Amino acid sequence: MDLAFYDMKQHKGRFIATIFGVGLLFTIVLAMNGLYRGNIDEGLALINATNPDLWVVERYRGGPFNEQSTLPEFYHYSVKAIPGVEKASPFIYYSVERLIAGKSRHFSIVGYDVFDGLGGPQKIYAGRNIQRAHYEMVAHRKLGVRVGDRIPLGLHTYTVVGLTKEAVSTDGEALVYLSLPDAQEVLYQKDNEEVRSQRERLLRTLSGQSYLSQTQAEKLLAPLESDTHIINAVLVRLKPGANRPMVARLIEKWLYLSAFNTQEERQLMLKGRLAGMTKQLLLFRTLLMIISVTIISLVVYTFTMEKIRSIAVMKLIGAPDWVIVRLVMEQSLLLTISAFLFGVVLIGNTYSLFPKTILLVPGDTLLTFIVVFAGGILASILGLWHALKTQPAMALGG
Amino acid sequence: MEILRIEGLAKIFGSGHIQVRALEDINLSVSKGDLVALLGPSGSGKTTLLLCISLILEPTMGKIVFDGQTIFQKNGWAGVDMRRVRREKIGFIFQSHNLIPFLTARQNVLFPLDLVGMNGEQAESRARELLEYMEIADRADYLPSLLSGGEQQRVAIARALANNAKLILADEPTAALDTTRGKRVMELLKKIAKENQSAVIVVTHDVRMIEGFDQVIHLKDGRIETEKTNAQN
Ligand SMILES: Nc1ncnc2c1ncn2[C@@H]1O[C@H](COP(=O)(O)OP(=O)(O)OP(=O)(O)O)[C@@H](O)[C@H]1O
Ligand SMILES: [Mg+2]
Repeated sequence: MDLAFYDMKQHKGRFIATIFGVGLLFTIVLAMNGLYRGNIDEGLALINATNPDLWVVERYRGGPFNEQSTLPEFYHYSVKAIPGVEKASPFIYYSVERLIAGKSRHFSIVGYDVFDGLGGPQKIYAGRNIQRAHYEMVAHRKLGVRVGDRIPLGLHTYTVVGLTKEAVSTDGEALVYLSLPDAQEVLYQKDNEEVRSQRERLLRTLSGQSYLSQTQAEKLLAPLESDTHIINAVLVRLKPGANRPMVARLIEKWLYLSAFNTQEERQLMLKGRLAGMTKQLLLFRTLLMIISVTIISLVVYTFTMEKIRSIAVMKLIGAPDWVIVRLVMEQSLLLTISAFLFGVVLIGNTYSLFPKTILLVPGDTLLTFIVVFAGGILASILGLWHALKTQPAMALGG
Repeated sequence: MEILRIEGLAKIFGSGHIQVRALEDINLSVSKGDLVALLGPSGSGKTTLLLCISLILEPTMGKIVFDGQTIFQKNGWAGVDMRRVRREKIGFIFQSHNLIPFLTARQNVLFPLDLVGMNGEQAESRARELLEYMEIADRADYLPSLLSGGEQQRVAIARALANNAKLILADEPTAALDTTRGKRVMELLKKIAKENQSAVIVVTHDVRMIEGFDQVIHLKDGRIETEKTNAQN
């Protein structure tokens, strides 16, 4: 005889309200699971998609994503000269905030050697790859542009020649691929006014040096102007059969740089930029689970206390303890499981509406369910404890 | 045939100088089909005696033999599964709030049957039969809150009878009812004692209710004051 079911039929309203409320909490827990996965997935997407044999960056820096790393552009020639290196390509990556179709958008720019260099887009799903040295761009569809669109960035206008849907920036925003010189220009873009005033400043400094004549100062101006031939990393492809750790060691020793493989590059991100968010989400999820279990246990406790007299009657009639345990625990589990299912259905239908990517992984949902189930059992303990210590004699009291 | 025998039963609540001697030197014997009335002023120990008989309250001393089995003697409960004895052999009716409020009349009667493992059509027909016997079958699918006090008591009696209890214990079953309805409930208790051959012990305040009882026991301050045995049938 399903006592729990008959009892809940009497309290449909409260039961449904609890499922709704706790269900929303579980929805948030599931959303946070997805947010956690999405955060890692997006944080590593560019690393995974680029996937060179080695990432060569500024020494002692976990660059180019977890930390800033700056190298002179010509360093890729030095890397290329290391035994075992087949190809060494310059790579630049930075984020910007620009107007796209009239709206201010935050996105990241990748600059690479468009003529057979590493680090370009992997798959183009519409249009083609960049084929000219200047003024062409490939964009992630998140940017909301179409092939053929002309996008002004800095001093020039770029034509969208291709679209990707793979790699996004490490903070989940759209990615724009440009040729290396274009990317450098967008990064260090200066209008004529600024170039002129910077030159003035430099000239004033040089003229102030008593050991320089005015002509000497003017001659020094050009070589001392700020260098825009800067990159963030050199991407390396090894020759077949080359020993990766050995090549990495040679680069570190001879060139005084750091070299990471893709796995190490991922670890830098996971232990670095992504770690804070991961811990934060874990903390929130734990708190929400505690809140859910507390609410359910209070509801189950109230349900049980309202029935305490009936429970005394049952014991008097001779119902064994398991009948009472089943009554209380079934209600707790039914509440918990219904609320969880509500959460699963809700997040399953709304995840695409969240501003950040929610990546739902069945394994995570299953694990959450196990925790929720254990929580449901835990939540019934307070009610159970009261139910089991109820004296049957209570049924006889006037 | 003797169904219940009590010898020298005593129940003392508390200890030291705040002792309450709720029952002292109780001796009684109840046979199959006996209708026993337990009378006495408030605080005289009626409920306490009923609780001892129903294996809920442990007596301080004495001996209880129920259905040929010694269930209590001076060392304590004699290793019986008390809830099992209750669900299989004892039926309970109390003053009020007898029924499980979230179960219909029919389900309330089905509950003790379910506890002893009877279900399905067999249990349903037994429940129907009992509700008809108590003349309340037309209210079978009502929740207790929609039944009158008298109707509730009749459902409670049907439930107490469900497992063919050898002993039915009723603690002031008529207290919450008016005289007419109370009389009607007493009639039904008499009927089941005779027709079902169950022993029925009824606690009551009301002397008008006890005509036709086989035994009338007057309790006062925990002792049996007078015992009257009718041998009219
Ligand atoms: N759990 C208990 N602890 C201590 N004393 C108790 C307990 N239960 C009952 N008593 C005392 O035992 C005595 C007998 O109580 P009991 O409830 O059996 O009386 P009663 O005859 O049923 O009274 P009423 O007609 O009011 O129901 C009373 O003095 C009561 O105060
Ligand atoms: Mg009493």
